[in-house]
Amino acid sequence: MLSEQNMIGKTVVITGATSGIGLATTIMLAQKGAFVIGAGRDKAKCQKAEETILENSPGAQVTFCIADLSCLSRVKVLALNINRIVNEKGCKGIDVLINNAATVSSWYTTTPEGFETQFAVNHLAPFLLTHELLPLLKKTPEARIIMVSSGSHFRTRFNWDDIMLRKRYNCLLAYKQTKLANVMFSIELNRRLGEDSTVRAFSVDPGLVNTEIGMKGTSGLVKWFWKKRSSHGITPREAASGIVYLASEPSVMREKAVYWKNCKSCNPSRYSQKGEALLKLWEISEKMCGISSEKYKLPPVV
Amino acid sequence: MRSMICITGATGGLGRAFAVECACRGWDLFLTDISADALETLACGISSTYMVNVDFYPSDLTDVSSRERLFKHITEKGLIFHGLINIAGPDYEGPFAQRTPEQIRTILRLNIEANLEMTFEALKHREKGRSFRIINVSSLASFYPMLIKATYAAYKRFLLDFSLAIREELRRKGCTVTVLCPAGMPTNPPCIHAIDIQGFMGRITTKNVGYVAAKTIDYALKGRPVYIPGLVNKILGIISRFVPSTTAARLIYERWG
Repeated sequence: MLSEQNMIGKTVVITGATSGIGLATTIMLAQKGAFVIGAGRDKAKCQKAEETILENSPGAQVTFCIADLSCLSRVKVLALNINRIVNEKGCKGIDVLINNAATVSSWYTTTPEGFETQFAVNHLAPFLLTHELLPLLKKTPEARIIMVSSGSHFRTRFNWDDIMLRKRYNCLLAYKQTKLANVMFSIELNRRLGEDSTVRAFSVDPGLVNTEIGMKGTSGLVKWFWKKRSSHGITPREAASGIVYLASEPSVMREKAVYWKNCKSCNPSRYSQKGEALLKLWEISEKMCGISSEKYKLPPVV
Repeated sequence: MRSMICITGATGGLGRAFAVECACRGWDLFLTDISADALETLACGISSTYMVNVDFYPSDLTDVSSRERLFKHITEKGLIFHGLINIAGPDYEGPFAQRTPEQIRTILRLNIEANLEMTFEALKHREKGRSFRIINVSSLASFYPMLIKATYAAYKRFLLDFSLAIREELRRKGCTVTVLCPAGMPTNPPCIHAIDIQGFMGRITTKNVGYVAAKTIDYALKGRPVYIPGLVNKILGIISRFVPSTTAARLIYERWG
């Protein structure tokens, strides 16, 4: 189901926009008339993605920012660049932020700041980017933050004693934890923004998608497993339709549901809704990103 | 001033893993590496996450004057240490005759000169009345004469023997020396690729750096001399004692040559 709503005059920011679900979503949003600011790590891939989008949607309004989300200082630079583009283009603010970029790593590797790579890219980067872009999101009448999560967050808990799994790293568990973190961030962000807020956060489960995510930064066995498994998945375009629905359909802003799959709201895992865990994850993430609730006016809800 | 753990080569994959592990244990850190920006980024991430003090000073340890500036900085700031983790050490893979003179000089300066001087200086600035832990990063390659990695294996052997020798010298002075001898370390994409192309053998001899850093520090705190991560690697280490060096070199040539 694809929302018929056009997005002319809307500004959308999407990370991981150069391939897979991100590229498919960018194409569809551009076709609906949105001004899309995509973020990608590689300059050549950004250029290629821009060409692909313009081929699919001649006259599309799209621009790319190059940013390596594995480094939090570069996430801050990305936010500054987005601010600059929004101002230069005379946009009112940001209508939709889609935190789509994600990575998988077979081995425990760390980012320049010393964080485990999956945790940094899949959770800390969107956590920080959302905070940095919140003032722009608050400027539009109805703003949406969409976290591209996964059904793999079910049956997953955090290892609070070693949240980045330094001592007992498991590639799949590390990935599942970050997808759980995406859902929990959406829930807690909505709580902190309050019911009257014009900004709403959502998590979307795109389902099993045939993308290259499991082929980058992984070793032989994981590559083989992902190739076999993803071959049964839906296409990135099919997955993107669920994200575009959340980005454009007016009725979703009136619903209280946070977690969505196939354009329908559903319940996230029970664990992801536990108040104590939500608070703990938020505090840990703030500490790691070096930010405070006070600065962003997002105090905890008692 | 609280005493710190000094880590050289801190911004590489293994260096970061050790820095994080030490910070998790609540130890303040003094980090050094060649890039000031990389040090600042790492220090920022660690200090905000683990609430420890992280000081750093950029230094090119292959350069004598740069090392002297580092030692002067340590003295002038009155830094004191309760541990030293020597990680800095390059690996230039390939036949010896194909190395450049600069690469050969770098290997000697960084792995031998810098390591010895750093150990000497850190001992001068150790915290009085507290155990002092030295961790040197050698390699499983130190147990064998390795073609393609001839200089690498040889200086890792130097580090192993040097460490075991000073361990005895310093034992009664409240100082322990532990040598880490890992096989493949999946610290960055080229290393992961190199492990990948070794196939099954690469997979079973490789351990995650986070695990290795934690276990190495556990070993150091217990005063153990050598830590070889992984059962297969331990067996390979034991076999080296019984296989003549010339035979080992020939066998390695059969596999890698």
